[in-house]
Order: sequence, then structure tokens, then C-alpha cells
Amino acid sequence: MSTYFEFTNPTKLCSGTGAADNIAYELKMLGARKPMVLSDGVLEKIGTLSIVLNALGDLPVGRVFTEIPRDSSIDTVNRIAEEYRDYGCDSLLAVGGGSVLDTAKGVRLLISQKADDLKTLMGCESIPRGAHIPFVAVPTTAGTGSEATAVAVIKDTKAHVKMEYISTELMPDVAVLDPRMTMTLPPRITASTGMDTLCHAIEAYSCIQKNPVSDAYALTAIGLVRENLIKAVRFGGSAKARLALANASFLAGASFSNSMVGIVHAIGHALGGVCGVPHGDAMNILLPAGMMFNRKVCADSYGKLLFYLAGEEVYEKTPSRKRADRAIAEVLRLRSRLHTLTGLPQTLKEAGVDPAAFPEVAKTALNDGASIVNPRQVTREAVIRILEVCYGD
Amino acid sequence: MKKELLSGVNQIVLEALFRGFRVLYREDSRVRKEIHQWRDGLTLKLVCGPGGAVLAMRKDPEKGIARIRRAQRADITMRFKSVEGAFRVLSGQIGVADAYAAHLFFLEGDIYQTMSFVRCVEYLEAYLFPPFMSKRILKEVPEKQVSSLLVYGKALLESGR
Repeated sequence: MSTYFEFTNPTKLCSGTGAADNIAYELKMLGARKPMVLSDGVLEKIGTLSIVLNALGDLPVGRVFTEIPRDSSIDTVNRIAEEYRDYGCDSLLAVGGGSVLDTAKGVRLLISQKADDLKTLMGCESIPRGAHIPFVAVPTTAGTGSEATAVAVIKDTKAHVKMEYISTELMPDVAVLDPRMTMTLPPRITASTGMDTLCHAIEAYSCIQKNPVSDAYALTAIGLVRENLIKAVRFGGSAKARLALANASFLAGASFSNSMVGIVHAIGHALGGVCGVPHGDAMNILLPAGMMFNRKVCADSYGKLLFYLAGEEVYEKTPSRKRADRAIAEVLRLRSRLHTLTGLPQTLKEAGVDPAAFPEVAKTALNDGASIVNPRQVTREAVIRILEVCYGD
Repeated sequence: MKKELLSGVNQIVLEALFRGFRVLYREDSRVRKEIHQWRDGLTLKLVCGPGGAVLAMRKDPEKGIARIRRAQRADITMRFKSVEGAFRVLSGQIGVADAYAAHLFFLEGDIYQTMSFVRCVEYLEAYLFPPFMSKRILKEVPEKQVSSLLVYGKALLESGR
């Protein structure tokens, strides 16, 4: 662990039953008079967006934009920022999964910095405070934790690369976690996004930027995933399980926003950019192999994780020298149960990845910012080996 | 130590870094491969704290890298928050990855392209620092393709231009 650390989480959290009903109040308190609402077509169609729009009451909406693609892109962000200005909006309300929230973060950055092209704002912790644009985030999946992070992953569609933006200027003022927002998620997506949360927490707990505060968030998140993920997959209507996973996602997001993520995310981002593998699916496939790779230098950390992954009894019964391996086995066991319940792919082969893409994936993963904070040196050979193991032949 | 003195040391190490880069571009296939991936004319700057030492360079198709004016805006700038933080890295007390984790510097420009530069710095550190230091600051010490003595010798003879 570093001898110096920083921890930032200025986002106000509104979590629980009826949380979405307070959005109008929160926006008004932030000084918003004419918000732009960002969402996607599916949420509009199934009625999730209307729950939020109805909750806005007498607050006039400047523009509702629902054409955000599955992978947020720089072009989309630039276009929305233009519309924000054209429609005279003064604040942002994002309702959606990681793509919608990251798009909103990019738009907020562009507007607050008075810029026209997101590419001109690339960097890490280098953006000074700009104009305050009120920003409320309402996640509709429990996985990315984007509502709690200073990170946005936005695709450069020309270069086929997912660009990382890191700045506290990206962080929402308010995050709203309402179980109604995730209640309609199908079991497979619930499983995939839940494994994304788990991956955030495990990588946050083992990266070289970890610190005591991020550890506390990560460990709590892992416990919540263990207790609620299978429940939410099997009984999607359980508001209690849904809310617990939303809280876990927020906690894991706040954790990794401060300690960063490692090799699993570096390869996962690359698989998303090069092969189009959905992020949660990639995390689910790569996590055990990534842990096995890091085990050499993370045995102590993984050993401690067993308590949160399997519970007190298993932890106590497992000799300390075997706890790290048992922790990895617990992740494999959870993955296997989710595969049985939902068909979530466990191999890159099942996810439709062509091994011919491995060299390109490895090249992209090596250049991902997450590689630098991984506890073990990330090399091309290591990435290729992990990809081969995960292919599952 | 006084800030001026630390800045002076930083400037000397930056000079060694620049010359070392030039030498390794010729002598180490991995560094050559990394730099070949950069687009021609890509500009990079290392700024060692406010008012501190600066290394400003660009990719050069023949020499690997060449200097640019320090005042010129670069595509990628690694900017240390303090002279002292830069000194810790340049004197081999802490590695680049740990410095990133400890928020000693921030980055302006494309993170994706910066990772290649970071790998080059780590290769260079394996040559410039004695093994007991490189083992402490690098997660894994890369194998040397030529001897450190040769790199030092050639760096001394290398043009600083």
C-alpha cells in the first residue's frame, strides 16, 4: 500500500425506496431550472424513464435525448453537448446504465470546460474546476458504479479504443439509487452487471493504489454481492436484493474510483473495444484468470477476501495458506452458478471472440491505464496467456 | 534539501533520461518497438514541478526522439505536482507506477499513448539504476539486452541536441 493516498467521493447518495421521487428537489437545490435528460431507447420503451420524468413534477425539461448507443462515443458526447447549448439547458439528469452515465459525464465536462471536442480534454486529474453544471445520475443497472466514479470510459470509434477520462469534474452531484430502476433487469444482465461490481471491488482491493478507505468500501460491496446477487437473479422482483446490489455497485464504484482497477479491466476494456464483448460479460470471464495471475503477489489480500466471499465459517475453517486459492474458487463457484441460472458465458469462445483478435486485444490492453496500477507487471505475454486460458478450448 | 538543488538534480537526471532514450532506441529492440508505435511528430513533456526542470521532446523518425522547445505545448505532458515528488522518482526512490498511485503527477493528453512512454521509462530505469534500486521500484525488472556500462558510455557520448 502506498505511503500516501487520496480519497474523493463528493457525490451525495440518495438510496432506497422512493429515492427517485426526490430528484426534482435535488435538482432544484442544485440550482437547476431546465435540465437535459439523457437516457436510452430501451428505458424509454419499458417505462423506466417515465418513472423519473413523472417525478420531475413542475420542473421543465429542456430536452430528452434517448439515442445513446450501447457504447458511449466521443462523437455522441460532442453532439449532445451541442444540443444542450442549442436547447438552452442548464443541468443534466442521466437515467441509464454505464454508457448513458459516462456519456453524461463527458457532456458535463465539455459544457463546464466550455469546450467543443472531448478529445481536447483527455488526461488524468488535469482538468481544473470549471463552471458548475448540476448533474444527477440515476443508474438503471447495478454494475458500472459510474454514478460514484471520477472515471468515464468513452469509445473513440475511429481508433476502436475505449478512452479513459479521469477527473473529479466528472463526478455527479447526486446519485439516486431506487430499486424500481433495476427491477425489470433480466436475470442474465443482473448476473453480468453483478459480476462487474464484484470485479470492481476485488480489483480495487488488490491494486497498488488501494488505501484503507477504498478497502472499506470494497469489502462491504463484496459482502453485499455475495448475499444478494443469486437472490436478485432468481427473484428479480425482490426490492431488497435489488437495492442491496445498487448499493454494492455504488460502493465498489467509489472504491475503484480511488484505488483504480487492474489487469481484468485492462483486458476487458480491450475486449470491448476490439471485439465488442459486453463489459460485464468480459469481467465475468476474465476475473478468475486475472486473480490467478495476480495471486503470486496478492495472496494476503485474496486470503482476506475469503471472509467476504464465503462468510465467516468457511474463512475460519480454511487454513490461512489456502485462503487465497479458496477465494478464487469461490469466485469460480459463483460464476458457475450464474452460468447455470442465466447462461452467462464463462469463456471467450462462448462470447464469440475470435482468437485471431488476441494480438490486437493484448496491444490495446497494455496501453490501458488500468495496467499501470495492477499489482503485477502486465506484459504482452501475460495478457495473451490469460486470453488463451479464458478462451476455454 | 533546498528546492533549487533538487531541481538541479532533476535537470541532470532528465538529461540522462533523454540521452538514455536515444541510446536505447538503437540498442534495445523493445524500446525501439515502443517508439515506432508512436506517430511521427508526437510531442511529450516531463515537467518536474512548478518552475522545475523540464524535458521536452518529440518522436523523430531517424533518432527515435529529438528535443523541442520547453515552452511548446505537447501532445502528452506528465506534470509532477512538486519538485520534491519529481526528485523522488528521478532519484530512484519510487517507481513510475507507485508515483502514479501516490498522485505525484498528473497527465495532460492521451492515457493510451502515455502507457507506451511509461514502459520505455521503466526499461530505461532497469539500465540506469543499480539492481538493488530497480528491484525496489519496478514490479518486474526487465532483462537487459546490452550492459548498463555500454548504455552509460554511449549516453555520455550522445549528442544532447
